[in-house]
Amino acid sequence: MATLDSARLKAALQRVAEGAAAAAAELNAADGQLGDGDLGITVSKGFAAAAEADLPDDLGMAFLECSKAFQRVSSSSYGTLVATGFMAAAKSAKGSETLDASAIPALVAAARDAMMARGKGELGAKSVLDSLDACAKAIEGADPAEMGDEAVAAARQTLQDFKGRPCKLGRARMFAEKSAELDDPGQLAFLRIVEAAVS
Amino acid sequence: MKKILNNPADYVDEMLDGFVAAHPEFYAQPERRVIARPEGATSGKVGIVTGGGSGHLPVFTGYVGPGFLDACAVGDVFASPSAEQMASAIRHADGGAGVLRLYGNYGGDVMNFDMAGEMVDMENDIRTTTVLLADDIVSAGKDEAEKRRGVAGMIYAFKIAGACADTRADLDEVTRVAQKAADACRSIGMALTPCIVPQAGKANFELGENEMEMGMGIHGEPGIWRDALRPADQIVDEMIDRILADHPFSKGDRLSVLVNSLGATPLEELYIMYRKVKQRFDAIGAEIVMPLVGRYATSMEMTGATITTIALDEELERYLKAPAACAYWRVG
Repeated sequence: MATLDSARLKAALQRVAEGAAAAAAELNAADGQLGDGDLGITVSKGFAAAAEADLPDDLGMAFLECSKAFQRVSSSSYGTLVATGFMAAAKSAKGSETLDASAIPALVAAARDAMMARGKGELGAKSVLDSLDACAKAIEGADPAEMGDEAVAAARQTLQDFKGRPCKLGRARMFAEKSAELDDPGQLAFLRIVEAAVS
Repeated sequence: MKKILNNPADYVDEMLDGFVAAHPEFYAQPERRVIARPEGATSGKVGIVTGGGSGHLPVFTGYVGPGFLDACAVGDVFASPSAEQMASAIRHADGGAGVLRLYGNYGGDVMNFDMAGEMVDMENDIRTTTVLLADDIVSAGKDEAEKRRGVAGMIYAFKIAGACADTRADLDEVTRVAQKAADACRSIGMALTPCIVPQAGKANFELGENEMEMGMGIHGEPGIWRDALRPADQIVDEMIDRILADHPFSKGDRLSVLVNSLGATPLEELYIMYRKVKQRFDAIGAEIVMPLVGRYATSMEMTGATITTIALDEELERYLKAPAACAYWRVG
């Protein structure tokens, strides 16, 4: 992918919507161990809505539509965080109809920063923020042809790195011991999203 | 569950239908779950919006009205409205001079209102600011006062910020005054019996037949102690002592006091409480201005009461006394 435009964004969202639908049961089960077990529903409904949204040519406005569509159908905290990430991308991309692949790491970093600020979350607490951070760092300066593989590898490595460590954010922190043995559902969801986006 | 309703899922929407139908001079519902002034936003005036979960009437949406708020986003019972509903409320409040978001400090509401601010900034170029109410002194220590939850004190902030906006002050000035009012409020609650969230169908906490809980939050958040019910004077003494420990008053100070029912506690008992409140401030030599006694910020059918104080200086007192009207509070 040399450049990103509204049509390519829509195609990626459609792939993620399919991937999220396929992973919904797995994510619900992972979330059910630590929370209320609806993460798969949140993610699949959210991306389905984003994939169906009418995306304007301005990439900023296109990301804004994604944010609103996601927010509309899933107002849980994970849904709000994803919507926040889209909103940050929207602000960075406002006024451009195409973005060079080299600009994508900055979008991911902007999303990470906004999500950290909104969720009042810190890195290292075993949450989706760690996955985003790893991803932003892995694709920074990467060859555009390699970016997708780098992102998937970073998301996978994050799950690996946090094995045995307790969740310190969100509801899962109340099950510190149990959460150490399990994958963080948010990190797992992120991996499935990235896998689908670059497939 | 013993409640007067049709379908629990329709609780909020049917409530809003009746609310607007009963008071068309104050409220309109231009979009689902958004309450605004029937005449629309006032051109050139800073708009003030609030929002939050249902189950607290007259808070939040009851305080839309001239001299008070311009619009409100309404969520399910005890649940945040969506960011889109909040963005819509902001648009309905926008008279071209910017909009203040004035609401209680709850995680979900803060996330969604921040998001809404970004939406209207991107799409409508509306400038917004935020003031959070954090007046419940039990919900966090004085060293972490910014983490406190917002409760009944917000009605003073609505009144004072609304009066300031009516003078055509600019957004920064309205924000400053709203923050000053919010910072001057201290509240504490106590509860005797719980309320039932319609869609959950069961009580949000349990208290023994003769028990009370001191310091309980407006959604049943845990308080300071739970023990046998005390006489009214003893309850009020402890509530006032705790407020004074957080915000001392001395001779010659001026303040307003709100003795508020959480829903089921009758006016009779609120006046028994106010009698003791007045004695306490008389003993200090502080003067109570415009006391409020009644049902101003509730938790549906919860039995219990809150006491709020707001320290007044000349500026806050002037705005508190300025004319304003909504279906639940009229001044001047």
